[in-house]
Amino acid sequence: MNSPALPARTSGRRLPFLFRRTWPALWILPMPVWLLLFFAVPLGLLVAISFWSVVNYRLTPDATLAAWRHVLGLDFLWASFWRSYGLSMASAVVISLLAFPASYAMAFVAAPRQRLILLGLAIAPFFTSYLVRIYSWQVFLTEGGVISSIVQAFGGKGDSLLNTYFALFLGHATLALPVVLILQTIALANVDRTGISAAANLGARPRAILFRVILPAARPGLTLGLLFAFLLSYAEFVSASYLGGGAFQTLPILVTDLVRAGQQWPRAAVVSLLMIASLLVTAFVTVLWAYREKG
Amino acid sequence: MTNTHLKLDGLAKSYGNFIAVEEFSLDICEGEFIAIMGPSGCGKTTSLRMLAGLETADRGEITLAGKRIDQLPVWERETPMVWQSLALFPFMTVRENVEFGLQMRGVARAERRRRADDWLERLGISTYADRNVARLSGGQRQRVALARSLVLEPKVLLLDEPLSALDAHMAIKMQGELKKLQRELGITFVYVTHSHSEAFSLADRVVIMNLGKVEQIGSPQDIFLRPRSKFVAQFVGGISLLEGKVLGREDSKRFLNTRDGKVRLSHSCGLAEGAAAVLAVRADRISVTITPGWGENEIACTLVSEEFAGAVVNLHLETASGHSLVAQLQQRDLEQLDASIGARVYASWHSDDGFLLDRARQSLPGTKVRAA
Repeated sequence: MNSPALPARTSGRRLPFLFRRTWPALWILPMPVWLLLFFAVPLGLLVAISFWSVVNYRLTPDATLAAWRHVLGLDFLWASFWRSYGLSMASAVVISLLAFPASYAMAFVAAPRQRLILLGLAIAPFFTSYLVRIYSWQVFLTEGGVISSIVQAFGGKGDSLLNTYFALFLGHATLALPVVLILQTIALANVDRTGISAAANLGARPRAILFRVILPAARPGLTLGLLFAFLLSYAEFVSASYLGGGAFQTLPILVTDLVRAGQQWPRAAVVSLLMIASLLVTAFVTVLWAYREKG
Repeated sequence: MTNTHLKLDGLAKSYGNFIAVEEFSLDICEGEFIAIMGPSGCGKTTSLRMLAGLETADRGEITLAGKRIDQLPVWERETPMVWQSLALFPFMTVRENVEFGLQMRGVARAERRRRADDWLERLGISTYADRNVARLSGGQRQRVALARSLVLEPKVLLLDEPLSALDAHMAIKMQGELKKLQRELGITFVYVTHSHSEAFSLADRVVIMNLGKVEQIGSPQDIFLRPRSKFVAQFVGGISLLEGKVLGREDSKRFLNTRDGKVRLSHSCGLAEGAAAVLAVRADRISVTITPGWGENEIACTLVSEEFAGAVVNLHLETASGHSLVAQLQQRDLEQLDASIGARVYASWHSDDGFLLDRARQSLPGTKVRAA
């Protein structure tokens, strides 16, 4: 820091006043600019479009509630909404439960070096495109695919596993499991070890230590893992379309259907806004719960 | 305080090539306050952790009230600990923290709450019962940590540098409270610390450890007045050491030949002629004069520095051979001395104030120190 008492000529690299004052702001600036350009502006556009109309398959600026009335009046809208919400939440819970033993082992059993290697392996799937990974699931799940051939070899029927919730779940897990693993491992690795020893010293058995000390201490991170799994699964379109097929009309599928059938951008915007609203509410409530403190 | 209550017998612990504790044996009486002291890495905390069951001893046995406890898992030992970092549960209220141990023992809710509230009351923190522990001051958190352990009514309480997180003023206040509490409850405290003042003012007996070995076990007075090894003398501080060889008898007097001349030893010296020995003299027993011929044993020195320590002043002296001595003077004696830094002075002491260190490590009462 340049001291104001220091004469300007003794510090050769003294920067112009304006530059010194704006320097910290320059470092902070990219974040609000990014949010403005890629979140606030598109969101505003989405809100605006939801009040436009479609004339002769062309999007026309307007100020009508027609799209809102139409979408909220659809009898299958709420069914789709709750299906999307329920399936994604179910996926998030199952993914979190599946990830937990592995995260626990990485945090408490593995040596720090082993933990780095294992986390590296968890991230490895990101090196291939998500679409490629979903396509490879198709190879496994389809009729005459890997799984069905094995089942048939043992005399089973070997039906296609595609267009089932199981397939959709596999898609969600492919996307979210590595993220959940990392979040959970970091959360568990940061649990105060002395606190664990203290609990044992006060008479807590391993089970009680897990439920009374480790889980409450890691709650923020574990909850964030669950939230991320939910967010990723909820907005997921690729596996809903390629693995879930037509069997589950989730909200992302509804959005594409509305656009494809008659360029109904305003109606698609309404569905998107509903999704965003429900996501924000879920995220807000979850984070509030995760960081809730006693006393 | 006569019967042995907690017995440590030959405890040893290594991590790979590192010997944390080489051999630790100690018989502790019921209601005794034991302080284990030593520099960092001396094995004091490892010893305490072995007592709590957080480390498994490689060798040795621990018995509490006649029952072996070293093979019990941590959660079955009745030796709660107060941690250096306190290790309170941040996701619980003060009361929940205190109730935790009782809950683990299956005590019913109403009973749990009554006992927890009793202790919160006793330690003066009942106002904070429903608060988050993160919102308490250092002293209050310290009390929660104590209440959490004491609510279990243990026979033995382990304390691992419990006051090191507090500021100096608060630490001294808590020292007094701890001692009072220990007396009232009559339970055994095993207290690990690196602070001389904590160990000497609190403990009935002090264990001094260095490099995984027990150097000395004794009352604070014992250790302060009669350190047995060079390490203890230096660790306790305020002691000048002179090394030399024991000379033959002259008129029934014994002398030590040091590099700075001959000094007389006290009457009881069991060492043979020619034996190497270390003479120790406490700083407060050394007189400093600017003219020679005042004392029995006298060494000419240079005054190197003065260290102000309240009512007294420590004078650091250097002998002709470059050896360091320390003398402690009252302020008014220093004024009379009238010597400036760099001046030639004479350090002298009475032979009876000097004592020889036991160079060879010996068995002490209640301890077995074996070579590993």
